[in-house]
Amino acid sequence: MNSQTNIKIVLISITVLALVSIGFKIKPVLENYDDFKAQQVYKVNYNYFFKSGDKNTTVKTFIPNSNSRQQISKYNNKSDSTLLFSKKGLASNKKVIWRTKAVNTYHSINYEFIFQGKEKRFTLPQQFDNASEKHQYYLHATENIQAKDAKITQLANRLTKRAKNDSQMIKSIFDYVAEIPSAPIITLTDALTAIEQNRASCNGKSRLFVALCRNLGYPARIKGGIILENTNKRTSHVWAEVLINEHWVPFDALNNHFAYIPANYLEIYEGDEFLITHTPGIQFDYTYEVESINHIPFLKLNSEEIRQLSSISLWRLVEKRIIPENALNLLLLLPIGGLLVAFLRNVVGVKTFGVFLPVLIAFSLLHTGFISGMIMFVCLILLVGLISYPFDRIGLLYTPKLVISLSIMVGLMIIATMIGIRFNVTWLTTLTFFPTIILTIAAERFSRATIEDGHKLAIEKLGQTLLATIICYGFLSWSALPALLIIFPECLLLIISLAMLLGRYIGIRWVEYYRFAPLFNQPKKIQL
Amino acid sequence: MKSHKKSNVIGLNERNIKLIYPNNNKRHYPLADDKVLTKEILHQYDIPCAETYAVIEYNSDIKAAWELCKNKNALAIKPARGSGGGGIKILKKDHNGIWISSGKPVEERQIFQHMAATIMGFYSLGSHDRVLIEECIEPDPFFQQIYPSGVPDFRIITLDHQPLMGMLRMPTDRSDGKANLHQNGVGIGVDMKRGTLTQVYDGKNYFDHHPDSKFIVENVSIPYWNEILEISIATAKAFPLNYLGIDIVIDKYKGPQIMEINVRPGLGIQLVNQQGLKEKINDLNKNRS
Repeated sequence: MNSQTNIKIVLISITVLALVSIGFKIKPVLENYDDFKAQQVYKVNYNYFFKSGDKNTTVKTFIPNSNSRQQISKYNNKSDSTLLFSKKGLASNKKVIWRTKAVNTYHSINYEFIFQGKEKRFTLPQQFDNASEKHQYYLHATENIQAKDAKITQLANRLTKRAKNDSQMIKSIFDYVAEIPSAPIITLTDALTAIEQNRASCNGKSRLFVALCRNLGYPARIKGGIILENTNKRTSHVWAEVLINEHWVPFDALNNHFAYIPANYLEIYEGDEFLITHTPGIQFDYTYEVESINHIPFLKLNSEEIRQLSSISLWRLVEKRIIPENALNLLLLLPIGGLLVAFLRNVVGVKTFGVFLPVLIAFSLLHTGFISGMIMFVCLILLVGLISYPFDRIGLLYTPKLVISLSIMVGLMIIATMIGIRFNVTWLTTLTFFPTIILTIAAERFSRATIEDGHKLAIEKLGQTLLATIICYGFLSWSALPALLIIFPECLLLIISLAMLLGRYIGIRWVEYYRFAPLFNQPKKIQL
Repeated sequence: MKSHKKSNVIGLNERNIKLIYPNNNKRHYPLADDKVLTKEILHQYDIPCAETYAVIEYNSDIKAAWELCKNKNALAIKPARGSGGGGIKILKKDHNGIWISSGKPVEERQIFQHMAATIMGFYSLGSHDRVLIEECIEPDPFFQQIYPSGVPDFRIITLDHQPLMGMLRMPTDRSDGKANLHQNGVGIGVDMKRGTLTQVYDGKNYFDHHPDSKFIVENVSIPYWNEILEISIATAKAFPLNYLGIDIVIDKYKGPQIMEINVRPGLGIQLVNQQGLKEKINDLNKNRS
C-alpha cells in the first residue's frame, strides 16, 4: 500500500466515524426541536422575607405568563410550609398569594420560574385604524395618569403640532418623554409631576407617555416587569404599551426602545399596579435572583438534558464557562470560515489577504454591525494607504513605516471612538478591542500589498478580500451555527476531510476560465 | 476540440500540486530566490551568465567593493533577493566619465545610499539582503529590429531537465522599458522545434507583428537557438529543482546568458503560445517511453 491509499483510508474512516457519531444525536435533536428559538434564558427567583404581623398576614405578587415572545415554564413554589399558597387571576394578570395566620414569625418565600425570551420589533403603520369601543377603558384618566388634565392637553397639542400622521404623533411624544432627564426616583411619580420636575424614572416617564397617548385618543397602558441580567436585583421596571391596529406595541421611554422590546425584558403584569403588595406595617424585604441559563436556541432541552444527549459534545465547556461564550464561538467558527475561504481561494480563485483574515473581519462585523463596520473598515484602510503614500516617497524602511501607519490607524480609531461617545454616535463606539486588532492586521496586509504588487493590484485584492468577508459574514451571522457545532463537534473532523479533498483539487479555478479564455476559443490573429 | 483544449490548460492548483510540490523542494528555493546563490552555481558549472564584479554583504564593505568596480564602463547593481525588478540600477559612464542612470547623472554618494538601502532590506521587505554588482548586458542587435529599447528576455520552462515551452518577452511603448506581461510588455510565442517566433500576445489580442514597431515576427528565426536550449538544459541539470522558469538574455558580444531562475514560473506562457502545458508534458512523456 502506498501513502496515497493510506491517506484515503484514514480520510474515509474519519468521515464515517464522524457521520455515525452525528447520526446517533440527530434523532433526539430533531425530537426536541424548538421553533420558539429563545435568544436569552434566565432562571428567576422571587425571594421575599417577612415577619408576620399581629393578625393574618398576606403577601401577593404577580407572576408572568407565556406569550408570543416569552415562554415561562417550571413554576416552582419553594416557600416555607407554614404559608398557605394560592393562585388567582386572569390570563393576563396572574397573581400568587401567600397567607399565614401565625403571628410575629419569620417567613421566607421562594418562587422560581424559567424565562425564555426573544426581542420583538414592530413597524408602525402611518395611519392607525380606529380603536374599537371595547378599549375605552385604556383611554380613561386615572389618579396618576391624568390624561384629561389641561396641562397634558396643552403639552400633547404642542408636541404634535407638526405631526402629519399617527405614527409621527407617537414618535414626537415618545421623543419628548425620552429626552426628559432620567433620575433614580424610587417613589411614585405621576404624569403631571414628571412634567413639573422635568426629571423622572421609569414609572414617571411611562405614566406621562400613557397620559399623552390617551389624551390624543390612543389606547395605552402601563406594563410591568423586570429587566433580566445575570445578577441579583431589587429594581423592577415599567414601560408602556399602545394599542395599534389591535396589537399592544411596547415603548420604553427610559431606555429609548421605540416599538421594540429587548430579549431580556420579562413581562409580568399590565396596568398601573404594584408588583408586590403585602399587609401593611410588617417587616418586609425582597430580592430578585436572576441567573442566566446556558441554552441552545433550537432545542427544548435544559442544560442537564443537553449534557445527557451525548458524551461527545462541547456542552460542558459552555456550562463551566471556562472559555467566554464569544471566544468559544469564534474558536468553533474559525475552521468553518477557513474552509469557506479555502474554497473561495482554490476553487473560485478569489485572492484574499491571508486565510483567516476575512473570517476574523466577518467576526468583528458581527460586533460592529455589517454596514457601518464595512464602511469604517474600507475608509480606515484606504486612509492608512493614503497617509503612508508620502512616507513611501521619502523612502523609509518597511518596518518603521508600518509602525507609523499603524500608529495613525490606532490614533484614528481612538479619535473616532471619542467623537462617538461625545456626540452619542453609537456606531463610532463599536471599535472595541477585537475589531481594532483585526483592522490593524488588515491594514498591515494592505500596505504590504501596495509595496509588493502596486496600488492597483492591492486595491483589487482588498476588494476580493471584502467579497470573501461578505460571504463569510453571511455564514457566520447564522446564529444557530455555533450551537450546532457545540452539539456536533464531529463537524471539525468533517471539515478536515473536506479540506483534504480541497487540498488535492487540481481543477481549473473559476476565474481561470476567464483568464485562459483565449485558449478555449480561438481568437483571431490581428495581421498587418 | 474545445474540451480537448480545456483539459490541456494547467491552472494554479494543478501547477502547485503536480509540478511545483513534487519537483521543487522548498529547502532549495533560496538557490533560485537569491541571485548571488544562483550565480555561484552557474559559475561553478561554467554556464554563461553576466560576470560578477562584487557581492556586498555589509555596509562597511561598500567602499572597498566600489573601488573594484568603478573603473568599469557599465554595470548593473541588483538586490540579491529583490522581486519584480525592484531596486535594479543600471549605471553607464558617459564620455566625460560621469555615471548615468535612467538618463540622469548620479553621484557616488547616491550610489552608496542605494546600496546601503538594499542591504537594509528596502527591496526585500525588511530582511537583510546582499548587493550584487555585475556586468551590464548589451542586448543583441536581433532585438533592435523588433523593438529598439529596453531589455527583452526569453523565458524557458523546463521539466525534468527538458525544455517544455518558451516565450520571448519584449517591452512596448507603454511598458517603460519593462518586458513583463503584467507591466504592459508583450509575450511572443516560440516554436521550440524550429527555433522561430510565432505570434505576439499583449494580454488581450494576438498579432503577427509587434504592436508598436509593426515588425512581423511570424516565422522569424531566433539567433543562438541551439545554445539557448543547451544552456537551459545545463542550468536545469545544475540545480536540484526539476520544474523551472529560466530567464535568458542574448548579449551582443557573449551570446545567450542566464539572467535568473524561478521556482514558481507563471502560467501566462500558455496564453502567449496558445497551448496548454499539459499537452507539452504529454509529448515529453511520450518521447521518453
